[in-house]
Amino acid sequence: MFEVFKKELKELLRDKKTLLFVVALPVVIFPLLFAVMAFISSQAALDADQKVNTYVIINGEYAQEFTDKVFYHKSFELYKGSKTFNTIEELKAGVIAGDIDMGIYLPSDAKQTLNDEKQSKWQVVFNDSKSINFLFERVKELAKEYSDNLQKEQLISFGIDMSAHAALLNPVDVIKVDTADKRENLGEKMGGFLPYLLIPLVLMGATYPAIDLGAGEKERGTLETLLLTPITRTELVLGKFLTLLTTSIASTTITVLSMGCWVALALAFADLDVIKTAFSSLAVTDLLMIFVLLLPLAAIFSSLALAISIYARTFKEAQNYMAPLSMGVFFPIIISILPNMELTAKTAFIPVTNVALAIKDIIKGTVDYTFVGLIFLATALIAGALLAFCVKWFNREDVLFR
Amino acid sequence: MIEIAGLKKKFKLTKDHKKNKVDDIDPREDKDYFHSVRNVSFSCAKGEVLGLLGPNGAGKTTTLRMLSTALKPDEGSITIAENDIVKKPLLGRKSIGFLSGSTGLYGRLTVKENIEYFAKLHGMNKKDIASRCEELFTMLDMHKFIDKRAENLSTGMKQKANIARAVVHHPDVVVLDEPTTGLDIMTTQTVINFIKGLKEQGTPVIFSTHHLDEVALLCDRVAVINEGVSCFDGTVDEFKKAGNSEELNQAFINILTEKQDV
Repeated sequence: MFEVFKKELKELLRDKKTLLFVVALPVVIFPLLFAVMAFISSQAALDADQKVNTYVIINGEYAQEFTDKVFYHKSFELYKGSKTFNTIEELKAGVIAGDIDMGIYLPSDAKQTLNDEKQSKWQVVFNDSKSINFLFERVKELAKEYSDNLQKEQLISFGIDMSAHAALLNPVDVIKVDTADKRENLGEKMGGFLPYLLIPLVLMGATYPAIDLGAGEKERGTLETLLLTPITRTELVLGKFLTLLTTSIASTTITVLSMGCWVALALAFADLDVIKTAFSSLAVTDLLMIFVLLLPLAAIFSSLALAISIYARTFKEAQNYMAPLSMGVFFPIIISILPNMELTAKTAFIPVTNVALAIKDIIKGTVDYTFVGLIFLATALIAGALLAFCVKWFNREDVLFR
Repeated sequence: MIEIAGLKKKFKLTKDHKKNKVDDIDPREDKDYFHSVRNVSFSCAKGEVLGLLGPNGAGKTTTLRMLSTALKPDEGSITIAENDIVKKPLLGRKSIGFLSGSTGLYGRLTVKENIEYFAKLHGMNKKDIASRCEELFTMLDMHKFIDKRAENLSTGMKQKANIARAVVHHPDVVVLDEPTTGLDIMTTQTVINFIKGLKEQGTPVIFSTHHLDEVALLCDRVAVINEGVSCFDGTVDEFKKAGNSEELNQAFINILTEKQDV
């Protein structure tokens, strides 16, 4: 068995494609992709933040203070073109034609309505299809300042003292007293993301080498050569299975370590308190527990991938079969992030979902160790059953010689 | 000595095969199965070389795959030194050295690593592996390419490496499926010399071929399979007599035609 394991590992390490998938991808390409994505999105946010928008206000004179605020705001520039705008329709046409970025329509009775105890309806015309757009928020902010001033003036005119304004406007103020600490809050957000990253990595670390070890061997004719040697099919399967388990875990470990290095590097250059807090709250035992939970999961994926691969006639056929397996793994991860999904005695028995939920709880620092034991046991049992199936599968002539 | 008696092997027809089946085209097909080998028997004694002949699709490769224990016969026995290897396949794998077009080498390993790996799987120790490798590399003139990766070898080099792989564990019987197909004259001669060497050492050799000149050169006995059934098993002289011709090609054709007419 160990001879098979040693040989498989040696061969895989000499395969450029495997090295690309197991080492280069997690160490260089993934972090590089994340870095490029982060750079592009931060650049887009910066551009949106610094953009100066051309505007027009209709009936601006009826709310002069507001009109002045917009005029002096660094993000807005008054339209100086030759076109005239008098109606909402003209503002819409101007935005569509690209003459202006925004049009604000104030009713002619903008200030008078308040005296009549009516609410004034202002309309902001702009194109809201961009994902990052600060325009509307900024106008709302300026309008609120104007509205607050009007409110204040009105209350004073009613003879109400300034100190009573807050109580009058907000008779009840609800204050949140959160018992969740910073780690729990961050864990809820990050913990859902981590299984999304780790579990597919465990799968990917097993599937590519599995295709080579099963269908690849069939295609190259080396499987039949191997079947002629006096080792049992159980030893043969175990040798191959151990190889896949190793690549799967190695690929995940390399990726996590690589990401850790990249995050540490990023923190050295940028002051990201949120990330610092999140990482400092994680203990080594937490990481070890995640690793232990991923082991039987890697065993499940390795057995499944090997069984699929040995059934396939060719490398290409095996690749086609692996696609539904990936889908089948993503589905239970998605279940784990559904609202109100929690680790319970029942969910501890749902493969993949249970590990995803446990990882989330470990990150949050609220994990129940009984469930962790239960998950390890359940996952290990499934892995054992699948391995036994794999051995049986390897004994079938109609599978080996399709 | 290896004795093969009453071998039978059938394969379940796939749905696609059944769907596209043309009725009565092959007598070996029934509703659900393809009876690839229906009744094959022959034997090969110590120091004998047996040529296994038959037209394409006769069932030679399936028969040889059963000898190698890669496939399990539905019926029949394969006996080597009084052990039925159908019942004891692991013993059979230790006793037989098998080479065919479908037995490849690991491309990313060197020739030496390939041979050593299979020797280890046969349970040989380091010392025995080293001396046996040296012996085979010299015998097959392989020293120039033993450190090359198998994926970079020429067809002739690959075949030599494959032969070394097949016999590294000193098998009691050697089974070769068309060992000279696709080889140049020089490599073919090396293979022929190697078979002669095995014969001199007293190792029974069974090899399938379409080249009857090789049969004339090497074989003591001939077995013919047609449509999954043994239709001849005897010495080369008996083969010529049964085929009413001194020319082996003609004798082979006559035997097949005669059986088909019957």
